[in-house]
Amino acid sequence: MERRWIKLKVNGKERQLYIKPNELLLNVLRNELGLMGAKYGCGIGECGACTVLVNGRAMLSCLILAVTMEGQEITTVEGLGDYDRLHPLQRSFLDHGAVQCGFCTSGMLLTAKALLDENPCPDEEKIREYLRGNLCRCTGYTSIVKAVKEAAALMQVEQE
Amino acid sequence: MSFQVIGKVLPRKDGIAKVCGQEVYPSDIVVPNMLYGVTLRSPYPHAEILSIDTAAAEAMGAIVVTPDDVPDVIYNERTVSIPEKTYRDRRVLPRRARHVGEAIVAVAAETEELAFRAMRAIKVEYKVLPPVLDLDKAMDPGAAPLYEEIYLGDDKIEVRNNIACERIITVGDPEAGFAKADHIVEREYELPRVYHHQMETKTAVCRPEPNGGITVWATTQTIHNVRQLLGHIFGIPLSKVNVKKLAIGGSFGSSIQMNSIIPICVALALKARRPVKMVSSREDDIYDHAKFPARIRLKVGVKKDGTIVAADMRVMVDIGAHQINAYPLLGCMAGWYASLYKWRDFYYEGRAIYTNKVPACAMQGYGNPQVNFAVESHMDIIAEECGFDPVEFRLKNYVGIGDEFWGQGPTVKSIIKSCGVEEMLRKGAEMIGWANRRPHHEKSGRYRRGIGVARGFHTSGTGGPKPGEVIDYSSATIKINEDGTVDVMTPVMDLGGGTGEAAVKVVAEVLKVPYERVELSPVDTKTTGYDVCTHATRGVYCGCGAVYHVAQQVKTKLLEFAGRILEENPENLELAYEEEKNVSIVHVKGFKQKQITIGEVAKLAQIYSWGTIAATDSLRQKNCPPCFVAHFIEVEVDTWTGIVKIPRAILLSDTGTPINPDMVAGQLIGSLSRGMGYALYEETEYDLATGKLKCNGFITDNKIPTSCEMPYIDDIQVYFAHTYEPTGPFGAKGIGEAALNSVASAVANAIYNAIGIRFYRTPITPEKILQALEGGGKVGN
Repeated sequence: MERRWIKLKVNGKERQLYIKPNELLLNVLRNELGLMGAKYGCGIGECGACTVLVNGRAMLSCLILAVTMEGQEITTVEGLGDYDRLHPLQRSFLDHGAVQCGFCTSGMLLTAKALLDENPCPDEEKIREYLRGNLCRCTGYTSIVKAVKEAAALMQVEQE
Repeated sequence: MSFQVIGKVLPRKDGIAKVCGQEVYPSDIVVPNMLYGVTLRSPYPHAEILSIDTAAAEAMGAIVVTPDDVPDVIYNERTVSIPEKTYRDRRVLPRRARHVGEAIVAVAAETEELAFRAMRAIKVEYKVLPPVLDLDKAMDPGAAPLYEEIYLGDDKIEVRNNIACERIITVGDPEAGFAKADHIVEREYELPRVYHHQMETKTAVCRPEPNGGITVWATTQTIHNVRQLLGHIFGIPLSKVNVKKLAIGGSFGSSIQMNSIIPICVALALKARRPVKMVSSREDDIYDHAKFPARIRLKVGVKKDGTIVAADMRVMVDIGAHQINAYPLLGCMAGWYASLYKWRDFYYEGRAIYTNKVPACAMQGYGNPQVNFAVESHMDIIAEECGFDPVEFRLKNYVGIGDEFWGQGPTVKSIIKSCGVEEMLRKGAEMIGWANRRPHHEKSGRYRRGIGVARGFHTSGTGGPKPGEVIDYSSATIKINEDGTVDVMTPVMDLGGGTGEAAVKVVAEVLKVPYERVELSPVDTKTTGYDVCTHATRGVYCGCGAVYHVAQQVKTKLLEFAGRILEENPENLELAYEEEKNVSIVHVKGFKQKQITIGEVAKLAQIYSWGTIAATDSLRQKNCPPCFVAHFIEVEVDTWTGIVKIPRAILLSDTGTPINPDMVAGQLIGSLSRGMGYALYEETEYDLATGKLKCNGFITDNKIPTSCEMPYIDDIQVYFAHTYEPTGPFGAKGIGEAALNSVASAVANAIYNAIGIRFYRTPITPEKILQALEGGGKVGN
């Protein structure tokens, strides 16, 4: 299969990639760019562990052909915040015990980010609904929902 | 008791890495020059492999490993039992497939895509054999045998009627006991096969080393057992096998044995003479392991005054195609049963049966949720039939302080020294409003609510006063750096529950060092002493027990060096944490002015060439204290759709001192979710004609709870009993598995209280509820 050049923005940086048309965005992010935050949990869009933001929308990178990302802007968990400048959601996940094994965490954070961008103060019901495509087997979700709720409140206060 | 860090909510050590996507899991490992491996899996539940044609795959440049290429070693992937009690029936790749999805051939190539193409090009000629898929028919004399012979320890043994192993235990005189009973209740319960559904599929990376050894990064709960088994199978000295400790993307028991793809990956890497990485697809993973199902027949005799006088339990477990840990399971199930209530005279019979299904292994509770469902349903049935209050009936008969606890079957026992059962049952009843609970016949309308109670426990580890059938000890190395910070080297895997933080807190507490000045070192099997496994809810009690033991030795050495510097007898010195300066000091007892920081002691010890303040040792816990739980759960049954919701849940635990209270709560709430799945949704069903899973390996067709099924945040309440375990590190016991054990039982009891129908099988799906309601509410399922 013939490789093609594509240009896209990943975590704010312009990247040029020479990839095969059948390569999945998840694999390109992990194998070509070394961004290991997005995880493989099923490969067929069932679990949400590979969630990334495409132009701000939460998308499953295991279901996206990387070549279709020409000109798009992608955010992975590595672009959400860094250890010395955590995003309020990342801080909140830590503060509310929303991380156990951590394998679903990246996807949860990015889905939550998309939610808060759409709706800055969602109620518990809205958060549950929005996160339902992201599976977690450790936490029982409660701490994650709480972390998102508290992060939203914190971000509101910071804005005011 | 007041502590410096124990019991405080502090950030997890791996937290920042996890929220930044920087934590390294096996699937994140990349080794230069590595190949990608995949497996070809049997489409048949039972088939002999006649021939394998690998020519086309090899022509594509792939490395292929067939059953002829793997060492002819028959092993059990679980090496926790002592060798003479270990049943062995499998090879790295089999000559006969015994379940759909069993790996037959492995392929490695430059890319994953090429590996898949090469795998597709392999031709396998099978001789299809009659499968055994129905537990009821598996023991028929005419049923096809899965094995002619297997090994128990070094002995070859014959397998009769597909019975893999069995255990029979009699305590006292059950017959005489039943004769004394005023009322006898007998029922049969059935618990399903469930998939662990850990979020990371099983992964292995193996790099052959120039010295003839191997380095392995793999999904596991036990780096040391993986090391020993790989050395044994491939004939490599243990000094040349190194297994790295990494984060694990969930486990729930699925990786307490050496995962099936690990030795396959090693075989590929050794043949290729290059590193190989294998990441299981979700389908492969679902076809690799399952929770032990169980069919349990229980008979209990009780006197008019509510005293239990006898019990009889018969268990059948459909273990699937291999024995991973069926024999210890049968023993443990006996122990869970023996330790719930004082049966006085009782009988137990457990049988594990081979079938051509996915091999069953431990999953959170290891037989305990199964036994608990039977016993705790039974307690409610007896209470109703005899007119006892379910809470009072339990309180009258539970096994508690001063009683013998079977922590791991009949050979690992200890005396209970801490117990919060009464506190939890009384408190839970008060919190849920037990006194206002109405019987089911007073309820009507479309939505009916009910309240259920169940209690349970799990062991904390598998220690005991004398060695039993199960190996249990742990090791640790601790050193004080020259600036007063501390490094902790522990082989104990943290499965996400916070065992790592608990270890750090124990060290910080013993040495009076601030939490942020103690760190966990990256370790592997070459840099640590043995630890059996993070299983049996032993991480905190046994793993951190060893850490506590070694920290005490470090403290002794620290005080000795400090004594030399301060010119004082070490016995006159003690440690203290100075809050204003955030440092740990050694000072003269009763005279704090004469002091030195521990960093200064370590630095001077280096300058004077006395040595590093460090220690390494192992510890076996001499007890296996039960961590108790109780669940009071409210359900709402929609009698039109059969859908059960959980509007309220009270989760109570007795973990001794909760070292990480936030994470104990996290374990309880996470277990509520998994328990809801076990009670209401989950089962990996088989197509009995093909031997394939009805979900076909898809998550979507094997529903687990999502964020939407959980009770709302404010409707879940967590309560910790006020207990202190005298044998645990700072009074701590375990929590992990206990947290799950009585969830499904409480849900089923609540459903009964809502609609008056007793379900004897889980999952209690909407279909089953509607079916039962349509049957006039009399049909128990």
